[in-house]
Order: sequence, then C-alpha cells, then structure tokens
Amino acid sequence: MKLLELRRLSKVYPNGTRALDSVTLSVDRGEFIAVIGLSGSGKSTLLRCINRLIEPTDGTILFDGSDVTHITGEQLRRYRSRIGMIFQQFNLVGRYSVLSNVLMGALGSVGTFDSIVGRYPPALRQMALRNLEIVGIADKAHVRADSLSGGQQQRVAIARALMQEPQLLLADEPVASLDPATSHSVMRYLGYINRELGMTVVCNLHFLSLVREYSTRAVALKAGVVVFDGSPAEIDQEWFRHIYGEDAVEVEIR
Amino acid sequence: MSKNRHTIKQKALQLLFDWLGGAYLIATLHRIVWRVVLIGDSLPAAHSTLIANVPDWAIYALAGVLIAIAASVSGASLGLLVRGELSIGSWQRAAALHWASALLAVTFVTGWVVTNISLVDMFSGERIHAAGRIFSSLLTPHFAILPQALSAIVETVYLAFMATVLALPASLVLSFLSARNLMKDSLWKRFVYTVLRALTNFIRSIEPLVWAVIFTVWVKVGPFPGMLALMVHTISSLVKQYSEQIEDIDPGPVEAIASTGARPLQIVWFGVVPQVAIPFLSFTIYRWDINVRMATVIGLVGGGGIGTMLNQYQMLAQWHEVGTIVLVIALVVWVMDYVSARIREALV
Ligand SMILES: Nc1ncnc2c1ncn2[C@@H]1O[C@H](COP(=O)(O)OP(=O)(O)O)[C@@H](O)[C@H]1O
Ligand SMILES: [Mg+2]
Repeated sequence: MKLLELRRLSKVYPNGTRALDSVTLSVDRGEFIAVIGLSGSGKSTLLRCINRLIEPTDGTILFDGSDVTHITGEQLRRYRSRIGMIFQQFNLVGRYSVLSNVLMGALGSVGTFDSIVGRYPPALRQMALRNLEIVGIADKAHVRADSLSGGQQQRVAIARALMQEPQLLLADEPVASLDPATSHSVMRYLGYINRELGMTVVCNLHFLSLVREYSTRAVALKAGVVVFDGSPAEIDQEWFRHIYGEDAVEVEIR
Repeated sequence: MSKNRHTIKQKALQLLFDWLGGAYLIATLHRIVWRVVLIGDSLPAAHSTLIANVPDWAIYALAGVLIAIAASVSGASLGLLVRGELSIGSWQRAAALHWASALLAVTFVTGWVVTNISLVDMFSGERIHAAGRIFSSLLTPHFAILPQALSAIVETVYLAFMATVLALPASLVLSFLSARNLMKDSLWKRFVYTVLRALTNFIRSIEPLVWAVIFTVWVKVGPFPGMLALMVHTISSLVKQYSEQIEDIDPGPVEAIASTGARPLQIVWFGVVPQVAIPFLSFTIYRWDINVRMATVIGLVGGGGIGTMLNQYQMLAQWHEVGTIVLVIALVVWVMDYVSARIREALV
C-alpha cells in the first residue's frame, strides 16, 4: 500500500540553511496528508524534494517501490510526470487560454515540436475539457487564464495537474492566497479528487481547521524536523504550542 | 577562517584606496597645479624630474604609500570613508572628507587644463563672427538638395531596419544562453553563460563607430559596412536587454511546467517565452529607433546614407546644404522617436 517513502531525507541549501533534517516519512496510497508548521519550517522544501525540483543533500526517496533519489534526464521527467503539483501562486501562464494551460499538464507525453505548434491529440483535448468539468469551470475554457479570479485559477491549476493522471498530488499552500470561502471550495475539490479519484495528496496547510476538515493524517515540521505524525484529531492545545511556539494562538478559518 | 579572509581583503582594499588617492593627489598637485597653473609650463614632458635619476612616478607612488600609512594609523582614511565606517562627528571623518574634496578639486583643475578650456576662444569678436556665419547658414537651408537628402535618409532608415532584423535571430538564441536563471544548473551551462556574458559585454563596449571603421576596411565603404557595424552592436545590446528580462521573470510558471515532466525546450517555450515576448518586441522596436540615430553618425565615417552625405557637404563647407541635411535628420529622428514610443505604449 506504500506509495512514497522518505528515508532520513535532508536538505542543506548552499548558504548553509538546514531546511530538512533527516525526515523519515511514509505515505500510503489514498492518504490525504497535511504538512503543517511555521513559515520557514521546511514544508515547501519537502514537497520540492519529493518531485526533485530541489535536490536533497542526503537520504533516500522511494516512489512506488523504486529509488528515485538520483535518477536524471528522461527518467526524471517520466517520474515527475507521475506527480502533479499545485502552488500558492497558481503559476498559470496568464497570457494563454485556460484550455492551453490545462493542456500544459500533458507536456510530458507530447513531443516538443507538437506541443510548440499546439498539435495535441484530440483525446488529450477531450481529457482537458473533462478535467475542467471536474473542477467546475468548463465554460471558461477559452478565456485568458489571467482574467480569472484566484479560486478559479487554482482550479485550472488542479485541472492541469489532473492531465498527468498523477499517482500523487503535491499542493504547496494551495489556499494561502485565497479568501476563506474560496479556500473551502478549492479544498473540497482536492478532497473530491482524493476520495473519488483515489489520488494520494500531500498538502502544505496553514490553518489547523482546514487540516482537521480535509486531511486524513497530519505531519508537523519544526526547523526541518518531523515533530508530529498522526491523526489531525490528536493535535490538542499542547501539541499546537509545541508545533507553533508558546505564544501562538489558533485562528480558525470558516 | 573565511571571516578572517574577508577582513584581510577589506583592509587591503582600504590601503589600496588610500594609496591610489594619495599618489594621485601628489601627482596632480605637482604636474598640473604646480607646473602648469602656477609656473606656467605647458603640460610638462615626462623626463622632467623632481629628483635627479628618480622617475617622478616612483616619487608619487612613495608619497602615496606614506599617505596610506598615515591614513591607516590615524583612521582618517578614504577607504574607511567610502565604506561608511567613520563615525559622524569624528575628526577622522572630517579630515577624510577634506581629503576627498581636495581630490575632487585637483581633478577639476586637471580637467580644465587638459580640455584647453578658453573663454577667449569662444567669445572674442572674431570667434563670435564665425559663430554668426555658421548659424545663419545653417538656419537658411538650401532646398535644392532636398530630394537627394530624402533618398539618403530613406537609405539610413532601411539600413537601421536591416541591422535590427538581421540581429534578431542571434540575439534571441544568445539571450537565452546568457540568462543566469536558465544557465545555473550545470557546470558547462555556467561556463557558456560566463563566456557569452564576457563576450557580449566586450563587443558592446566597442562603439558602433569603431565597428564601422573596422567593417569599412573589411568590406568596402558604403551602407553595407554601416549595417554590419550596427548589427554587431545591436546583437550585443539586445542580448543584454533580453537576458536581463529573462532573469526578471516570475519563476513560478517555470517551476510549474518543470513539475509536469516537460522537456527543457518545453519549459522554456511555455514557462519563459510568454513572459518575455511583449518586452522583447518593445526592446526591438526601440533598438530600430536607436539604430536610425546611430546610422546617421556611422555614415560620417563612410557607413552610407545621410551621414555620408552630411560628411561630404561639411567637408566642402557648404553650410546651407548642411543645414538642410540636419533638418531632415532631426525630422526623421523625431518621427521615429514618436512612432516607436506610441507603439511601445500600445504594447503594454
Ligand atoms: N533557495 C534557498 N536558499 C537558501 N535558503 C532557503 C531557500 N529556500 C528556502 N530556504 C530556507 O529554508 C528554510 C525552509 O524554507 P521553506 O521550505 O520555504 O519553508 P516553508 O515552506 O515551511 O515556509 C527557511 O529557513 C528558508 O529561509
Ligand atoms: Mg512555503
């Protein structure tokens, strides 16, 4: 059942910052894992080490049973295409249409030249439209991506990730730039993808209320070290202060 | 260890600064302020010496060393002043500021002497008369040569256009290879980046006028060498502007495209190109505009077009015709400037 396993993973940036310190973590298929921790605790670094956008300095990454820590070139690209990712800033190409942005999720399986001249197989186009339907914005397929609201842009980003038919979806604070109502809407889509499409999700989150509502498991980082790994329900006042510091006060998002 | 090295380097830089400042001050005080301004020599010949058998420069250098030591011991140091390490209100800071002012003063005096500034040359009766002659001629253009001038400036505009268009492919390719953010993840990429940056910086530091001279020797005189000169300069300028624009992009989309498993060329095409396309177009139009202006100057050394024509009439001292040509140039430059500004405005 194991999909991903990190063994004693560390990352030290060239300037000496130890962003991850011997992180050991195992992710089962179908889980919705929330990664929490103060800003600067290493959440983004952890996610980017998983799909190797950042090179870990030490440790091992096992994905679907094989060691992917040091793969390069074509192998690395194939590995990345099996993992979707969405971001706090959505990271769409604003000047392109929503549909074009969604199709970009399939770049790993389309030839360089074909993608540059916009020659995508009809099956992929249909899939793109289907994915836009899943996130509820099929009607916006032909408008410019940067004309959408933040919540809509994040849903386009989700549709783009779905094009990869990924086994794992990484989400780096996907709702941190959104207002509370929109946050819930985006989180509900992630929950739907997790439950109905059976996709494993690892999601960095700021608000514990969201963690409790949507995740099946919480992992807390503190200065690059895993200090909590368990059910979100177990995070009581004491744990909260341990993770976020003595002076922290919990804020709810409804 | 590395902190130690850092302070040693800082100290060395500070001493170097004080030494160069001191030597320069003594040298200019002696050669310019003393010899030229006070004694009234013409610029002194190199063999004149302060002390027999010792070259002057050695004395300046030695004086610089003494000054640097004095500055270092007392703390009234130029090096410390520019690093902002002298506390406000201290006598060392006041002294270093005086020293800096003295350097500025001798530099101004030297500059005055070197450029032969002479108010007499400018405003004596005879000179004023000459000025009146050229201005009155320039301001009464003879329009007989207008058709010829117009066809020459059309040649110049086309020349500038060709230089810009032919520079485009190379500029585009080289700019992506000269962008730090795209070229940092392997040793040989960093090597290519460094070499290209150095090369384009070097080429750009050579004035287009000099390139024109080189190309008029290489191919023969005319619009072709002028175009080549502008093209070379345009490539080096566009590579700089383009690559800086690439370095300025939002890395988010690049990261997002890379995370899908896209190939490197796809990452650049979908992550970078959409973010830079409009600025690139705007830079390119502006370059054409600049090239029209430069092409007129390049024509002066045989690069063809209106510049060459201007040069011919100027050598014949036909100032009425020169006036016509200047008028035509001013008009076209103004129109180009206006149109390119409007297009660039519309692009953003
Ligand atoms: N490119 C980088 N170079 C150096 N330090 C970095 C870099 N990126 C992040 N860091 C540092 O690593 C630590 C973890 O950062 P990050 O993973 O972004 O944490 P989080 O996502 O939890 O806010 C922080 O101290 C941050 O300053
Ligand atoms: Mg982060």
